[in-house]
Amino acid sequence: MTALLATLAAKRDRAAFEILFVHFAPRVKSYLLRLGASAALADDLAQEAMLTMWRKAELFDPAKASASTWVFTIARNLRIDAIRRERRPEFDPNDPAFVPDDEPQADARMVREGEDARLRAALTKLSADQAQVIQMSFFSEKPHSQIARELGLPLGTVKSRLRLAMARIKGALGGEA
Amino acid sequence: MTILHHPGDELLLSYAAGATDEAMSLVLATHLALCPQCRRTVAEAEAAGGAILEGDRPVLLSDGALQSVLSRLDTAPTAKSAAPLGAFTAPEPLRSYLGGDLDSVKWTNLAGGIYFKPLFQRGKSRSYLIRSKAGCGVGWHTHHGEELTLCLAGGYTDETGQYARGDLQSTTPDILHRPVADEGEDCIVLAMSDARLKFSSPIVALIGRWFGF
Repeated sequence: MTALLATLAAKRDRAAFEILFVHFAPRVKSYLLRLGASAALADDLAQEAMLTMWRKAELFDPAKASASTWVFTIARNLRIDAIRRERRPEFDPNDPAFVPDDEPQADARMVREGEDARLRAALTKLSADQAQVIQMSFFSEKPHSQIARELGLPLGTVKSRLRLAMARIKGALGGEA
Repeated sequence: MTILHHPGDELLLSYAAGATDEAMSLVLATHLALCPQCRRTVAEAEAAGGAILEGDRPVLLSDGALQSVLSRLDTAPTAKSAAPLGAFTAPEPLRSYLGGDLDSVKWTNLAGGIYFKPLFQRGKSRSYLIRSKAGCGVGWHTHHGEELTLCLAGGYTDETGQYARGDLQSTTPDILHRPVADEGEDCIVLAMSDARLKFSSPIVALIGRWFGF
């Protein structure tokens, strides 16, 4: 999918777009449904996400993110905009005040073969406690304070579970570059 | 520029998941503009989001969705990326919220060399800037909710350490501290306060409590 998305960016290839749509649109819809969108809204936003993918394809950098990661960020931002009616503040790498990596080659996160599969495996191996707070972060978009209240846990416990989960994610992405 | 104080990985994960509110996201995104190390962590958490999306059970779209989108492709404007020119102290995304750089901010003088600029409020979460003259402090205070402070100019020091441009301080209700602006240029910070449940008073009261007035 990542190679197809790169093709889409380079050639504005409609055939590539159709394959990407068939793969990603139903997953984006599923993600939005899990976050509580109605079926009609999830359908509309999934279509909107695919249009955004087409429109912004030039900005996709296969060295920095897999296609599924990039589509995830599109879906996430559309949802915040459409459902939460908030802006999603993000840094702008083209901004003169942006501080680039000192050693872009050594420091940049490079996407490697099989990363999605390794991450999925790592996520299934999280402890039940860690999986729950990850779930609540990605699929209920709850801030830490709210997760803590709902689980009846101290805020510090929620944070440390998320930190441990994040360590597992980093581990799955491989230590050495 | 060496950044010593970073948001915890759990905050960066929540930002990547889309779970942080706009005020918190603004502080984190502005820190990210200055901090390659934390950008990497966010990219890793977003990769987890991608893996979750990829592994999700697909739900078919309504009939004709693909045709409908295909027919709209030609009308979709393509991405434009015009880089602004100039030197700025406030990085994006903060600058867009300010409508200009830090030197164009219209400050409200509170007292004792402390200036204030509210940015926005969403629900109970507030975003604001504080400017403090060198040597001025805001008194002892604790925090009533989750609060983040990002140093943009000058520096300040409290019981937990010294904070300079790019440093982010995350405080929770159990922390009692007394920040004082360092000597030299005015200290300017971008802050957010998520004081759910605790505050129903107007913003002045919030700031008063923040400052221990």
